[in-house]
Amino acid sequence: MNNLKLAWRNLWRNRRRTLITSASIFFAVFFALVMRSLQLGSYDHMYRNVIESYSGYMQVQHKDFWDEKIVDNSFAFDPVLEQQLLGDENIVATIPRFESFALASNGPKTKGVLVMGVDPVKENHLSDVLNKKVRYRLTSEAIEKIERDDRIPDKVKTLLPLFENSAYTNTGRLQLDLDIQDKEAPVLMPVIEEYCYFENGSIRMGEPGVWVGDKLSQYLELGIGDTIVLIGQGYHATTAAGKYEIKGIVKLPLPDLDNKIVYLPLDICQGLYNADNRLTSLSLAVDDNQDKAIGETMERISSMIPENQRVMEWKEMNEVTVSQMEADNKGGMIMLGILYLVIAFGVFGTVLMLTAERKREFGMVVAIGMQKRKLASIMTLEMMLVGLLGILAGALVATVIILYGLDHPLVFKGEMAKMFEDYGFEPKLAFWKIDTYYIWQLVIVGLMVLIALGYPLRKIFGMKVVNALRV
Amino acid sequence: MKTKTIFIFTLLLAASIVRVSGQDLSAKDIIRKADEKFNGEKTSISLMAMTIVRPTWERTIEFKNWTSGREYALTLITAPARDKGQSFLKRQNEMWNWNPTISRLIKLPPSMMSQGWMGSDYTNDDILKESSVVNDYIHEIEGEEELDGRICWKIKMVAKEDADVIWGHQVRWIDKKDFLFLKSELYDEDGYLIRTELGKEIKSMDGRLIPTHIELIPEEEEGQMTLLEIKEISFNDPIKDSFYSQQNMKRVR
Repeated sequence: MNNLKLAWRNLWRNRRRTLITSASIFFAVFFALVMRSLQLGSYDHMYRNVIESYSGYMQVQHKDFWDEKIVDNSFAFDPVLEQQLLGDENIVATIPRFESFALASNGPKTKGVLVMGVDPVKENHLSDVLNKKVRYRLTSEAIEKIERDDRIPDKVKTLLPLFENSAYTNTGRLQLDLDIQDKEAPVLMPVIEEYCYFENGSIRMGEPGVWVGDKLSQYLELGIGDTIVLIGQGYHATTAAGKYEIKGIVKLPLPDLDNKIVYLPLDICQGLYNADNRLTSLSLAVDDNQDKAIGETMERISSMIPENQRVMEWKEMNEVTVSQMEADNKGGMIMLGILYLVIAFGVFGTVLMLTAERKREFGMVVAIGMQKRKLASIMTLEMMLVGLLGILAGALVATVIILYGLDHPLVFKGEMAKMFEDYGFEPKLAFWKIDTYYIWQLVIVGLMVLIALGYPLRKIFGMKVVNALRV
Repeated sequence: MKTKTIFIFTLLLAASIVRVSGQDLSAKDIIRKADEKFNGEKTSISLMAMTIVRPTWERTIEFKNWTSGREYALTLITAPARDKGQSFLKRQNEMWNWNPTISRLIKLPPSMMSQGWMGSDYTNDDILKESSVVNDYIHEIEGEEELDGRICWKIKMVAKEDADVIWGHQVRWIDKKDFLFLKSELYDEDGYLIRTELGKEIKSMDGRLIPTHIELIPEEEEGQMTLLEIKEISFNDPIKDSFYSQQNMKRVR
């Protein structure tokens, strides 16, 4: 107890030195935590995007479908199997799909598209597609009207041309893009929303009609009510060709998908491809989406699946994304390593300085009878206190920011957002919840302090009192 | 025009009546005779059924076919109901596909010539007869062989350097008596056998003896084949060139 008291007092004898040392530790902890949280959050967000807008956590498929995605590798839908699957404790819904490739055309413009036959009601369990419908669009007419309105401030008007023809699924992003502050929003947003409201329809089972991705609709120059022509190859080499009215436009968060997606009601799509009652995949919505729970569910249901079918997990289906994220994760770890290295040397530098400054003091206390062991333990306590101070302060500030960030992810706007989208990412940086990575950062920084401690301890034990006093 | 037609026709008839012995005919003449016998000297109108056989399924398509020499061809799908009304037109070097469900006329690029027609083992080139077995190859008699009890010429045909054909060379077995294609082996540019065609069920149609079942067996695909059955065929009916028009593709029955 005495030692602790001495250590504490020693710390505040030279306040500046203590603060500098703990500040360097503070920054190490703070940056490491925030950086890691952003990285993990972004991966999770990315995974969620691919899972929820495309693959789902698990899928039942024909065994050859994944290797050769042709409609001949589809399977007949079996309601008995569906009931069995729904009987599993972790499976909450099954989402039938029929997907294939086709050429979509309008006049002279043609593009290869991904045709997705979905049950619009069931699909909502998985991809939340109803919320991806475009609600607002800054058409040139809308921009003109806004520009003529006196209620809208000029700074908003100058931003408008940048977002001409942009589509929005909610007001949040629209508000961000136009740089409207929260306090102005209640006044300005309703006005703008009214001008750029976008009349969007729905697709229903049994009714011919399609939803197309926003970017695709812009490429083909098609709007609501226009006709899209699809041509492809159907089941058993039949011709799949059809004309459909565009009922609605959706904006998917993944630009890659937004560029080529065409949604059809499942039964209409099966008709187009001459594949009545056949599916290319049956997605399974789960209650618990942790890796372990999914693995267990896979094991349980694998016995129910007929021989010509198989179950696939999202990691297998999104191999590219997963390995992309893993590579990025490794890169992030290297960055963290460099950060640690810089900070470790910072800490070590201050400790070095501290030891040199106090050489005479150390010599003196040993000369008047203090045991070297006691001095060493006081030194250790001092360093641990400094470390603790820095770690706690860093963790505290990082926690505040991360907790705030969990509900308020960083959303980029304007040019920056466009740049992100061009690279195929959603312009959003999400944080990750406080998790085991927290403990790891704390342990690593703590270890760094302990290693730095080695230097003064060695100095103390190797000290020749006479030499030390002579300084 | 008409007198000329009749003249040529009688000449050809005479040629087939007067038994010309094999030794006097060149390999090219044999191929020409066999080709004309099967496709008609001037025109042919036929009704065919094509069965696509795959390891796990099979499907039959019926279609009507009009051809005038090598220049013009029109094909109309008549069954199954799903594909009915689709038509394919060839005029000289250009080819189109009309799809009534989407009311679209699609021009087939030359790059699609070697792709399967309606999902079968027949290529677009086979159906639309872009290339000519007579003019695009150099022919050589390799010998005589017996096939199904018929004596045949075995003729090797090597593609000409500048010909737009998808095969490197072909070997054809042609019946000596009736000038029938009984067997053909088609090889790619590297000399690998790609497919074998067999002519079977020799019957008299419109006064000619022709094989009415043609089996097309791709070499490397296990359990796959396409069977073409000629249900009706008539030769040298008068067809105007204007019949082969984009307008007619949409209304021909």
